[in-house]
Amino acid sequence: MAFLEIRNVSKAFGENWAVSDFNLQVEKGELISFLGPSGCGKTTTLRIVAGFEQPSSGSIIVDGEDITFKAPNQRKIGMVFQSYALFPNMTVAGNIGFGLKVNKWAKEDINKRVADLLELIHMPELGPRYPYQLSGGQQQRVALARALALEPALLLLDEPLSALDAKIRVSLRAEIRDIQQNLGITAIYVTHDQEEALSLSDRVVVMNVGRMDQVGPPFEIYNFPKTEFVAQFVGTLNAVQVEVVNPENQTLLLDGQQIQAQSGIEGMRAGEKVMIAIRPERFSFVSEGKKANVLDGTIENITFLGSIVRILVNIGSFSFNMDTFNNPYLELPKIGDKHQITFSRQAVLVLNNGSQS
Amino acid sequence: MSSESSRSLSSSIFLRGRRRGSNNSGRRRINIWAWIIFLIGILYFFVPLFATFEFSLRMVKDQYSFEAYRVAFEDPRFYTNFGYSIMWAVITIIISSLLVVTTAYWVHWRTPRLRPVVEFITLMPFVVPAVVLTFGLIRMYGSPPIVLIGSPVLLIAGYVILSLPYMYRAVDTGLRSIDVRTLTEAALSLGAGWRTILFQVIFPNLRVAILSGVFLTFAIVMGEFTFASLLSWPAFGPYMEEIGAMRAYTPQALAVVSFLLTWASIGLLQWIGRGAGQEQIAGAH
Repeated sequence: MAFLEIRNVSKAFGENWAVSDFNLQVEKGELISFLGPSGCGKTTTLRIVAGFEQPSSGSIIVDGEDITFKAPNQRKIGMVFQSYALFPNMTVAGNIGFGLKVNKWAKEDINKRVADLLELIHMPELGPRYPYQLSGGQQQRVALARALALEPALLLLDEPLSALDAKIRVSLRAEIRDIQQNLGITAIYVTHDQEEALSLSDRVVVMNVGRMDQVGPPFEIYNFPKTEFVAQFVGTLNAVQVEVVNPENQTLLLDGQQIQAQSGIEGMRAGEKVMIAIRPERFSFVSEGKKANVLDGTIENITFLGSIVRILVNIGSFSFNMDTFNNPYLELPKIGDKHQITFSRQAVLVLNNGSQS
Repeated sequence: MSSESSRSLSSSIFLRGRRRGSNNSGRRRINIWAWIIFLIGILYFFVPLFATFEFSLRMVKDQYSFEAYRVAFEDPRFYTNFGYSIMWAVITIIISSLLVVTTAYWVHWRTPRLRPVVEFITLMPFVVPAVVLTFGLIRMYGSPPIVLIGSPVLLIAGYVILSLPYMYRAVDTGLRSIDVRTLTEAALSLGAGWRTILFQVIFPNLRVAILSGVFLTFAIVMGEFTFASLLSWPAFGPYMEEIGAMRAYTPQALAVVSFLLTWASIGLLQWIGRGAGQEQIAGAH
């Protein structure tokens, strides 16, 4: 049995359904990210698990116990907020020890636990400081320690790094992952940052308009998106509509040029329209060797993005982004040059009516 | 650079320079006006106060003396009435703080849509005159089933109503400066109950806001006349009125003394609440 089960949870605010029939099973010690754009229902789902919102239907089971209607202060669920939510009137030590004091721990035990947690977040000297004397990153570390103080059954993190600058975000997310793995705590992490979700999580839940579009390990979510939304939302993508030529040998027609997919159009009829997606990094210029798909294109634009160079190639009535790794000796084409570009059959992701065939 | 573009560039620099110049002189003009208005305000406030003080010193003919003050302080009723007023003020402050903070907190946390309604209700004391309110209370609670005449409950209730506009506004402003919802949810997730949240999280972070409400309530209750007089309870307001009807110099001395004592009390409250400012500012981040 899974440690956390979210069963058929729906939530309506008036006429609007923020969450619709959400089902998820989370194993003990797993870190799951809810990834999606603003308003997709990820925070509402998290708040339902925390007990701050009541679901319109469905239930929340933690370790076999139905906690759907349990008060939030009786759930033993730790939470880290985007705005840190540290109590301004208390010191760092006071904040970390707050939950322990509320739960009537002995003073010596509180002091010891607070000291251990300060050590864990690499801030052993900062116990007497007030939140306003800390940087954003330090404040979020304290918020994490405070949430962990009571050894909660479940840790919920609601966009904890959104208010921090890029460098701190990267280092702190690695720290959060380390702490979560070392303590073996089950965690749900809400974010709209795909890089954060992909780098941190055991599994990612991609959400769209209150529904779960796809759930799976980051590698699977990125490489094998099941819906057009997931394909578009996670990473950069070239999505175009093509025509089925021969479903048996997976042949498709892209603006007058034939291409082949590995799979995905079985059972379809010739002449039927289908959406396909190709990641920019799966394209390359034709060199030696036989390739499955070769298309004639014209270079439209070149953008330098640091570690990669993004080349916009026009093929018929479509424009495709093509990524190539940067190196100082890279021979870049010129805008207006004619080039042949190629991609493998496996690079063609067939998306159809919201789900991959 | 073409002559046309250089001309437009130079004209834009000129314009910018001219605007900056006009801004500076405009700002200076605003500064002068601000000082003039400030001075008028100071004069409006202090000239009557100084005149009252000066008049209170003239009890002995052809010389300045503190004779009026000696007479005022010799009257034991001064201490009794002033003491009663302080007691009413303290009780009012405690009840008003508890009532307003819990109400305003609940409105912010759970029912923000009710905020305009609550604001309107708290403004009622500005619309309904104190004398009308007192007669309303006497009529309502002067006969069965609930008889409160003869008990100070009615007086305190009246004072709490009078203090509502000031106390609510101060607390509401304080609540707007902290993230009430997230702080409450953070405390709830750590196992805290409502009493802990209110007294350990919300009240301490509203110290500055509550203190401003407390100062205003204190000043209002100390000078209040209508409620105490009509409900026949000893208080400083009716005592001043009574002395004023009989003597010339002593009421002026009492007015000055009451000013000083009220300021001293406010200073004391400020001293008690010292250090709260920084926390509240930090909470607003």
